[in-house]
Amino acid sequence: MTDAELVARVLDGHVADFALLVDRHHADCLRFARHLLGNEHDAEDATQEAFVHAYTSLGRYDERNLFRAWLYRILVNQCRTLARQRGRRDRRFVQDPARVEGAEHPATAGRDDLREPLAAALGALEPRMREAFLLRYGEGMGYAEMARVTGSGVSALKMRVKRALAILRPRLEELLGG
Amino acid sequence: MAEIEDRLAAYFAAEYRRSPAPAAAARARLVGRLASVPPPRRRARAFAWLLGPRVVLSPLAGACAALALVAIGVAVSPTLRDTLRVALPRPASTPAAGGTRVPAGGAGSERLVQFVLVAPGASRVGVVGDFNGWDPLGSPMRRIGDAWTVAVPVSRGRHVYAFVVDGTRWVSDPAAPLAPEDEFGFRKSVMVVAGADST
Repeated sequence: MTDAELVARVLDGHVADFALLVDRHHADCLRFARHLLGNEHDAEDATQEAFVHAYTSLGRYDERNLFRAWLYRILVNQCRTLARQRGRRDRRFVQDPARVEGAEHPATAGRDDLREPLAAALGALEPRMREAFLLRYGEGMGYAEMARVTGSGVSALKMRVKRALAILRPRLEELLGG
Repeated sequence: MAEIEDRLAAYFAAEYRRSPAPAAAARARLVGRLASVPPPRRRARAFAWLLGPRVVLSPLAGACAALALVAIGVAVSPTLRDTLRVALPRPASTPAAGGTRVPAGGAGSERLVQFVLVAPGASRVGVVGDFNGWDPLGSPMRRIGDAWTVAVPVSRGRHVYAFVVDGTRWVSDPAAPLAPEDEFGFRKSVMVVAGADST
C-alpha cells in the first residue's frame, strides 16, 4: 500500500494506519534531524512535532505530491524553527543568504551524539548547506524533491551541495584514506 | 575530479546510513503523543459538488424522464398539471444526487490507545479486549527494553482488556482498575476512552 493510500485510509477513519506511516518514515526523519541539528534531544523534539503536525494536517496533504517530500518539508520547517528558538545559544542557523551561499563556517561545538568524524565534517558546514547536503547524499533525494522540501530553487540547492562537498572534501578524503 | 567527488559522496552516504539507529523509545513516545491528538479530518473542498463526478443523462433519457414526471403530475393534480406544462418542456441533462459525502471525521470516534506492559521475561506479549475480538494474535506488542507496547485504535466508551503473555498467560494491567466481570476466570482491566470532542 502506498503512502497516499495509507493517508486516505487514515482520513477515512482508520487512524491506526498512521502508525504504518510512522514505521516507514520515523527512523529516516529522526536520523536526518539528528544530523541536521546535531543533538539527539532536539532531533526527537523536531521529529515528534513534525509527525504530530503532519497527522493533524493530514487533510491538507495533496496526494498528487510525494508524501515523503510533504513530511520532510514539515520536518525541515520544524528543525529550522527549533534551531531558531534554541539556536540563539550557538547560532547554527543564519538568515543571511550571502552567508548561506558563501563562506565556510568553523566546526560547531557540541555535536555530542554523532560519531566524531562525521560530526566534525558536518559541523564545518553552514546549516543551509548541511541541510541540502544531507537531503542529497544522506536521504538520497533528487533536486526536484529537495526543492519541494526546502522551498529553495534547484540551482541554489545544487550550488549549496557543490560547495558543501568542496568543504567536506579534505575531511572525507582523510577519513577515506584512514 | 567528478569521480573523486562521487566516491566521497558515496562514502558519506554509507557512513550516514551506518550512524546509530534511532531509538525505538522515540517512536514509542511519538505514538503515545499521537494517541492524545484528535484524529485528522479530510479537508472540505469548496465547490466540490461542482467538481465531483456526476451522471449526465442523454437528451432522450431526459425527455423520457420529463414525460414520466408529467404523467405523474397530471394524475396527481390539475393545478400541478398546469404548472408542469410550463416548467417541463425543456428536458435537459440531470445532475445526480451525489456530492454529499459522509464526513471522514464521523469515523473519528476511534482513538489510538497505547498499551504498555513491563514483562522482561516474556518472549511475546499481546493485548486482547472487546475492541479486537479477544484475539491473542490481533494486537501483538513490540518489545522496548523490559517493556512491551502497542498502539491500538479503540472506539470511545468503556472497554475491558487484558494482556496475553507468551500466548497462554493472561495478565491484567497493573496500572488500570480491575474489571468486575471475570466470566472466564481471567483477571481483566477496564478503561474508558474519551471521544475526540471531549478532549
